[in-house]
Amino acid sequence: MQQHATIAETSFIRDADLRPARRPRGRPIHRILVSFSAAYFAGALVTDTLYWRMLDVMWERFSIWLITAGLIMGGLAIIAYVIDLVGGRRIDRPAWPRVIGYAIAVLLALTNAFVHSRDAYTAVVPTGLMLSALVVIVLVLTALVAGALTNRHRFGV
Amino acid sequence: MMHILKNARSAKLPRLAALLVAGLGLAGCNYEGGDPRKEIGANPPLPALQQYLVPPIQIARVAAWGNETPAVPQGLQVHALATGFEHPRSLYVLPNGDVLVVESNGPKPPINRPKDILTDWVTWFAGAAAKGGNRITLLRDSNGDGIPDLRTVFLDHLNSPFGVALVGNDLYVANTDAIIRYPYQEGQTSITAPGTKLTDLPGGPINHHWTKALLASPDGSKLYVGVGSNSNITENGIGAEYERAAIWEVDRASGAHRIFASGTRNPTGLAWEPETRKLWAVVNERDEIGPDLVPDYLTSVQDGGFYGWPYSYYGQHLDPRVQPQRPDLVGKAIPPDYALSSHVAPLGVAMYTGTELPANYRSGAFVSEHGSWDRTPLNGYKVVFVPFSGGMPSGPTQDVVTGFLDANNHARGRPVGLAVDRTGGLLIADDVGDTVWRVSSSNPHSASNN
Repeated sequence: MQQHATIAETSFIRDADLRPARRPRGRPIHRILVSFSAAYFAGALVTDTLYWRMLDVMWERFSIWLITAGLIMGGLAIIAYVIDLVGGRRIDRPAWPRVIGYAIAVLLALTNAFVHSRDAYTAVVPTGLMLSALVVIVLVLTALVAGALTNRHRFGV
Repeated sequence: MMHILKNARSAKLPRLAALLVAGLGLAGCNYEGGDPRKEIGANPPLPALQQYLVPPIQIARVAAWGNETPAVPQGLQVHALATGFEHPRSLYVLPNGDVLVVESNGPKPPINRPKDILTDWVTWFAGAAAKGGNRITLLRDSNGDGIPDLRTVFLDHLNSPFGVALVGNDLYVANTDAIIRYPYQEGQTSITAPGTKLTDLPGGPINHHWTKALLASPDGSKLYVGVGSNSNITENGIGAEYERAAIWEVDRASGAHRIFASGTRNPTGLAWEPETRKLWAVVNERDEIGPDLVPDYLTSVQDGGFYGWPYSYYGQHLDPRVQPQRPDLVGKAIPPDYALSSHVAPLGVAMYTGTELPANYRSGAFVSEHGSWDRTPLNGYKVVFVPFSGGMPSGPTQDVVTGFLDANNHARGRPVGLAVDRTGGLLIADDVGDTVWRVSSSNPHSASNN
């Protein structure tokens, strides 16, 4: 898990360097934490799918720990974001599409953690698996929509 | 802390979560249990199964007995035979009248999921995480006045012991992972001889249901062992359930065993029905599918019988949490004889054949109900009597020993093991009050023959 997270972080930094950032300089810590949580949630979708196909509880346990880790990272990201927002140092104004999209994903993941805390098969199939997929879809859509808005905005300037 | 749990259970989280996932068909779960008395006896009504985001949790906060005792109906009296034990779980009466008190608790469960951390905390809160003595204490009441005049450590350094059985001069102790045989001479007050292992029993590393009930056959050739499942409902994988959720028959001479009956989720107490000489068991059924599912039960145990767990309950009621299913097994699942109501947690059973207690208790089974933790309102926390006639239960349960919960629903005690002593009094191990209670007749005519 640690390794995956590191890779995600590294690639994120490299990607981000290609974009002309609106921020003065440096990377707000919440962005890093968000990418950690997104990686964990995506991992849970993979392990849920494996459980669904193989019915081995090992994969089910992977899922609930991945979702839990994602929620912890998400919680830290929200705290870091609020601090940045209140401090007003690094964020000029809230990026609402990102904020709303991410909040929906975290709430769905929280629900999913409860579903995954059920015992045996119905902890995953069908509701848990659907929620895991939904979380990833919401995260991807958020990235696409927010990215498109940012680009349009940037080119418009 | 209780408030946190209660709020989490009844208010914010479920409602918020229910709102979020209303579209997924998860809303509208019922958290209040119905009248628990409706689920007593043969063919109990079984409501529709529910799956929760946050299953109902209501645990009884622990309180002290002080100078008070449990309550008994008119015609009976109750007093503390002895106190100050370390988590007394089961009782055994030796032929000379000496009472063995097994002080024990389960090994610490592993953390496999985030949920286990919460479960640990709930267990601790309910006073169920207290350290067990891992020993057996002997109580001797030489003059029969109901107050022991000798108390010794009979056997020490055991491994989560529960069941005890004496055959001739062989004393068997069912630790959580093995049956150990010790040499015993009548009148002995402590055993220092090393034990000999008769057979291994399913133990760690998970060991979800750790108690191993033990009962010798009337001819002494076999031992019957209640082995609980390794999970609530196979969440640790079906491989962890090998030879579990079953009643074993162990050959006393060779130590070889066979599965006498299976599908019994957690058979915590075994007893011979005196009229038909059939084996009976109390069994704890599965959790987290509703306050009124699944009723725990008392049943006769058929040789080779399958009682449903994990695939189904009460015959052919399928449990969707178990995949893959086994229609071949479900097809022959036997519905239990007598429901005791949901989540009462029957942990002890004693068929009564004595004459000390009033006539209305002379044919039937006493069952101790340790009490619920996952249902509102609380259920159990008492000792009940199931009248028998012709070898089968013949009516609803009667409350015999109550008052384990005080007026504020705090648990002063929780009944576990039962035994009938030499003079016919009913003994009750209380693992929260750390006491052994003795129930006898309050009528001096029948009580004076001691």
